Amino acid sequence: MNDVTLILDAIARGEGHASEELLPLVYDELRRQAAAHMAGEAGGQTLQPTALVHEAWLRLVQEDSRTWQNRAHFFRTAALAMRRILVDRARHKRSLKGGGSLEKVWIEGMDLAGVTAEDQVLLVDQCLGRLEQEDPESARVINLKFFCGLTNGEVASILNVSERSVDRQWAYAKTRLFEIIREEI
Amino acid sequence: MTQSRQIEKELFESAIELAEPSARTAFLNKACGGNPDIRNRVEKLLAVHASAEEFFSGSPVHLTGVTAGPDLTSLMAVPPVRNSAVAPEGPSAVIGRYTLLRRLGEGGCGVVYEAEQGPPLRRRVALKIIRLGMDTEKVIARFEAERQALALMAHPSIAHVLDAGATESGRPYIVMELVHGVKITDYCDHNHLGTRQRLELFIQICHAIQHAHQKGVIHRDIKPSNILVALENGVPIPKVIDFGIAKATEGRLADNTLYTAVQQFVGTPAYMSPEQADSSGLDVDTRSDIYSLGVLLYELLTGQTPFDSNKLLESGMIEMCRTLREIEPPPPSTLLTTLGNTRLAAIAVQHHAESGHLISSLRGDLDWIVMKAMEKDRGRRYETVNGLALDLQRYLDHEPVLARPQSRIYRLQKMVRRNRVVFAAGTAVVAALIIGLGTSTWLFVREREARREQVRLRLEGENRQKLTQAMLLLTRDQFAAADQLIHGIPAAEAGLEYAAVYRTLGDWHADHERWQQACTRYAVLFQIGALTKREVTTNSLDCLRYGAALVEAGDLAGYDRFRRSVIACYTNSPEVVWAERIIKVSLLTPADSALIRTLDPLARLTAESLEQSEPPANRGAAGFCAFSLALMKFRDGDYHAALAMCERSEKLESSNIELAASRNLVRAMAQARLGRIEQARAELARNREAVEGFHHNKTPYEFWWDGVLPKILWREAAAMVKE
Repeated sequence: MNDVTLILDAIARGEGHASEELLPLVYDELRRQAAAHMAGEAGGQTLQPTALVHEAWLRLVQEDSRTWQNRAHFFRTAALAMRRILVDRARHKRSLKGGGSLEKVWIEGMDLAGVTAEDQVLLVDQCLGRLEQEDPESARVINLKFFCGLTNGEVASILNVSERSVDRQWAYAKTRLFEIIREEI
Repeated sequence: MTQSRQIEKELFESAIELAEPSARTAFLNKACGGNPDIRNRVEKLLAVHASAEEFFSGSPVHLTGVTAGPDLTSLMAVPPVRNSAVAPEGPSAVIGRYTLLRRLGEGGCGVVYEAEQGPPLRRRVALKIIRLGMDTEKVIARFEAERQALALMAHPSIAHVLDAGATESGRPYIVMELVHGVKITDYCDHNHLGTRQRLELFIQICHAIQHAHQKGVIHRDIKPSNILVALENGVPIPKVIDFGIAKATEGRLADNTLYTAVQQFVGTPAYMSPEQADSSGLDVDTRSDIYSLGVLLYELLTGQTPFDSNKLLESGMIEMCRTLREIEPPPPSTLLTTLGNTRLAAIAVQHHAESGHLISSLRGDLDWIVMKAMEKDRGRRYETVNGLALDLQRYLDHEPVLARPQSRIYRLQKMVRRNRVVFAAGTAVVAALIIGLGTSTWLFVREREARREQVRLRLEGENRQKLTQAMLLLTRDQFAAADQLIHGIPAAEAGLEYAAVYRTLGDWHADHERWQQACTRYAVLFQIGALTKREVTTNSLDCLRYGAALVEAGDLAGYDRFRRSVIACYTNSPEVVWAERIIKVSLLTPADSALIRTLDPLARLTAESLEQSEPPANRGAAGFCAFSLALMKFRDGDYHAALAMCERSEKLESSNIELAASRNLVRAMAQARLGRIEQARAELARNREAVEGFHHNKTPYEFWWDGVLPKILWREAAAMVKE
């Protein structure tokens, strides 16, 4: 039994603090993989959260722990970890552009027709907190869909709801978060 | 989740499933019944939905690396290659009668889009819309100034203003001629234009700038990316764009406080005139444009700028200003001789000439014209842009030019004493000594030192560049951009000269009550102080900053650690002003008696100063001393003494309203502890409005601490009387 499996089981038993132990492990794994990915790929250097998260799931969690509850916990945690990684990366990109290319410096503000990927990540991250307070369910969907890139079907199985339900929740969550983003800027 | 929101959500989710608008309406009619508020909310959500989809449609799943991505260097520029404007999926944004097609770039205080004007004209235009930033009013004013400045001008080589307006949400926009062209330097290089042809284009640019000057507008940001060459009927026409930071000197637009150069400018210090670098753009006139034109001419003739932007930034603010003010760049022909053979050959090809000929063609008249335009002393430059243009025309007509080589004495006076010269990129030379005798110059190369320097600089270079850029940005109030830029730079690399950056950004965050971020910045400030072991880096005011920020951020453990280390550090300081501050910043929250005892030395000092406070000039300061002592007494449990000290403080200094409020709150808390709860409550109520108003009514230039201390105390007092 490895660490992650042990923790997941602990969570399943209701031991609350175990959740906090899970995040660092997942985070480390994802970060390592992300770095490995980046080093490996020539030129393109794309970062695909979905693939990373799934791979991490396969590597970290053993066969017999893959109950749906554990899956839910794992992916929720992975979403948090992935969010941090993506936000860090977006900030890094932004600051590189600011220092390096000398032409574009990120200004707080938003334009609607043509947000860059980095802007997107940072804006969502910035405003998600508010959504979390107002509507934790919607925020959860955003985490899983946006930061992990999971499909509606996968989200459905993680949250143990129907896929159509996820469709609707995702539509609402996006809309509401977008409203918040517009307000904040 | 509130109930109404829950209802909205459910209604939205159901409505969204209905594709047909009529079905939706019917559904909403039924479901919302007699509740117009809910219905409005749901309709609003549905309306926003499409934009939300668009926002999320580019998923973050593919964050591409730095090398990929299009190079949007020119504002409003569309490459002359066949322009297939890619409209975003779904509904596009429409502003007035313009439909936004795609984003072209950003800069100044706005973003520029390509847009299509509605019927009957249906033409493509450039639409620049303001970005909402912190100081919206300020930015709008700047924008409005730009619009007015542009509207004054009518010249074939200046991009025309077609329209202006404001969106529904009140964001102003300007509509300008869309210029399909390339950067002038690229145009000349790609088309292998010879010197003569380049000069002809350049003279046209001069005429445009002259026109602007006559209208009282200084461009202030002349550089290649702001000058595009477009083909009209096959004839290349240069177009000057982005007067976005132009400042009008006449009429109602003249108001120094509002118009400052913006960050696009920051990226290319190579074009900054010495006076711009120095005074942060305040004492700048038309001759500053002449300098920048000189640099542009330099680059057109040699393929390099006289100084390298990156190296300027790396060398730090002070060094950069000094370089621009004092270091003489080599004249164009000389520069070419210092380049390696391959580089020189490449440039020669772009100039449709062969190497030797290129150099000799620049030597003499053109050298002198360029250097005269670029004189450090603006009184020695051409007085008008026209003067520059005329001299160039004389050169082309083989007539004698007015520019003269500098006299021998003059050149000796300008001899460079330092051994470092910031040189153009592409050369291996870093150290040089210029000796001007006669008409030729030598360059002494210190190669080994240069190489070592290079390695060291390369590693530190990037971060220093960023820090310098951040400083420049801050001088122009571009806080968010600066903050973003320095994110993640370790304190060790920041160094003494950049401490101010962290202090300023910390203050900016504090002004907006982003306490966590403020703490992060202040932390670096203190780290720099610790690393450089110079007390001058952080002072007692900085202690006030960091302490209060920690409390406001809720990091009480961090705050406790901080106050202990600060007390230890300042315990033996002889300055009473510091003592008084350290006391109060250490007592923002209750403290155990051990800690309070460590403050005794400082308290003694403060008390002494209080006793010597008779001269009227010191009474104000004494008032603050008394307050700090009052706070300490309160924390120490000596409530009657605390009240007495408050009285004393009030007698000494009663005009400062923030101090008065803080005092009243300490009084209130002392009363509460003495059992006089009702009195305490009354005091609290009396002061509530004032305390709430402090932060909101503050201007960005006041120190935020003054209003935050009463706030912190108020919270504590309010909690106390609730028990």
